[in-house]
Amino acid sequence: MNAAAQTPKELPTKISVRSLDFYYGADRSLKNITMPLHTNKVTAFIGPSGCGKSTLLRVLNRMYDLYPGQRAEGEVLLDGENILDPVIDLNALRARVGMIFQKPTPFPMSIYENIAFGIRLYEKLSRADLDARVEAALRGAALWDEVKDKLQTSGLGLSGGQQQRLCIARSVAVQPEVILFDEPCSALDPISTAKVEELIDELTNRYTIAIVTHNMQQAVRVSDYTAFMYLGELVEFGGTDDVFNKPKEKRTLDYITGRFG
Amino acid sequence: MSLYASRRSANSTATTLCWVAAMFGLAWLLLILIALLYEGFRGLSPAIFTQMTPPPGSAGGLLNAIMGSLVMTIIGVAIGTPLGMLAGTYMAEYGRYSKLTTVVRFINDILLSAPSIVVGLFVYTILVHPMGHFSAISGAVALALLVIPVVVRTTEDMLLLVPGSMREAASALGAPRSHVVASIAYRAAKAGLITGVLLAIARVSGETAPLLFTALNNQFWSTDLGAPMASLPVVIFQFALSPYKDWQELAWTGALLITVAVLALSIAARTLSAGRRKSK
Repeated sequence: MNAAAQTPKELPTKISVRSLDFYYGADRSLKNITMPLHTNKVTAFIGPSGCGKSTLLRVLNRMYDLYPGQRAEGEVLLDGENILDPVIDLNALRARVGMIFQKPTPFPMSIYENIAFGIRLYEKLSRADLDARVEAALRGAALWDEVKDKLQTSGLGLSGGQQQRLCIARSVAVQPEVILFDEPCSALDPISTAKVEELIDELTNRYTIAIVTHNMQQAVRVSDYTAFMYLGELVEFGGTDDVFNKPKEKRTLDYITGRFG
Repeated sequence: MSLYASRRSANSTATTLCWVAAMFGLAWLLLILIALLYEGFRGLSPAIFTQMTPPPGSAGGLLNAIMGSLVMTIIGVAIGTPLGMLAGTYMAEYGRYSKLTTVVRFINDILLSAPSIVVGLFVYTILVHPMGHFSAISGAVALALLVIPVVVRTTEDMLLLVPGSMREAASALGAPRSHVVASIAYRAAKAGLITGVLLAIARVSGETAPLLFTALNNQFWSTDLGAPMASLPVVIFQFALSPYKDWQELAWTGALLITVAVLALSIAARTLSAGRRKSK
């Protein structure tokens, strides 16, 4: 949204993707992707279904590692360290790079425990400290006022939008440095969507954010940078205003004006 | 209109046939239950639960058989459940895509439908024969071998029902695999896992064949795991085939007890899986 995008090279870079290829078995679904994610900025990945934007997102915390037959080649540097290196500690990486999914994924436990689950992975806190951290996380996700009287009830009992904000609170509670959003609003109604977008806006001061979205207005609303992808290739990357107002590539123009996709 | 009419009549014919088929099946079940209740209730008395199996012609109960069934079932389940759960967990969580899982699943399905008498003979060969005598512990091992495939199957099935997104979400927080399985997948599948164990208990508590070759029978009170032990199914088998009226009556009562116990377990399992949605 701010127009600091003219000189992307000079901005601090949190994650640097270099010559990244990705394979599902023999299918090459990402082709030679090179792009930065700037520190404390929101980068949107847009493009038609199957273009590889979710795949790219799932490389950034190596989520693909849960499944056999998927592999990435190239480099993804997080603060200069290549996270594709096989020796990297995946759990430590995911503690630094959180992720929010398309469908809300509350755990089958109470609202309180949903938040505490992540915190307990890394810290041994007294009850009072834990209470405070849970409250802070829920406040941070603008959910506290709605749930403070029913912290011990199941997280599955919340509405879809509340569940998604619960998941954001859970992710933020472990204090990551980067948060990846994989179409976080596609299952939500417009009001819940607005709340989640507001939240993303607030988070951007403290976190580096990447968001995959099918909704171009959303990309315009929340992001500072936009990457347009098509058939596994990065077609265009730049400041969101530039990409949407004066795209350099014809394919980008066609996509954002709704001519295909 | 005539097309519609013919569809209607085809529909009602098919519905009637389904109904008749269902009734045919249910009727036998009902007849068995009625006969069981009628014959079994006659012999039901406090003595059943306080006295030992009698010699023909004298009064007695089924206490040693009830106790034996409980002991061997509990030990069998205690051995079989952890093994089955661990195997099922491997198949659903760790080795979901591995060849080993496919092989294990195939063999497990064979074991699941293997005649229980084969299991009895197997345990006879590996335990009873070397030991030189029948024993309660070999009976329990035979029951464990029947518990394992049931628990493996339900554990795998129930864990596979847990959505992958839940595992991804937990992994995305940096939780190690073991923690994801223990705190998220098990918790989400809890009701189903317990149901599996209950069904396994129900399955083995009526087994006769594996016990005939292993624990045999014992007319007296015994808690010695190294010695033969009575059990309800074997006592029923022996008493029902006998020419003595009072023994036959005890067999009916024993059959009623097993049926009621299995029914209670099945209802508990049903209730649990029905309440799964409201899991906390």
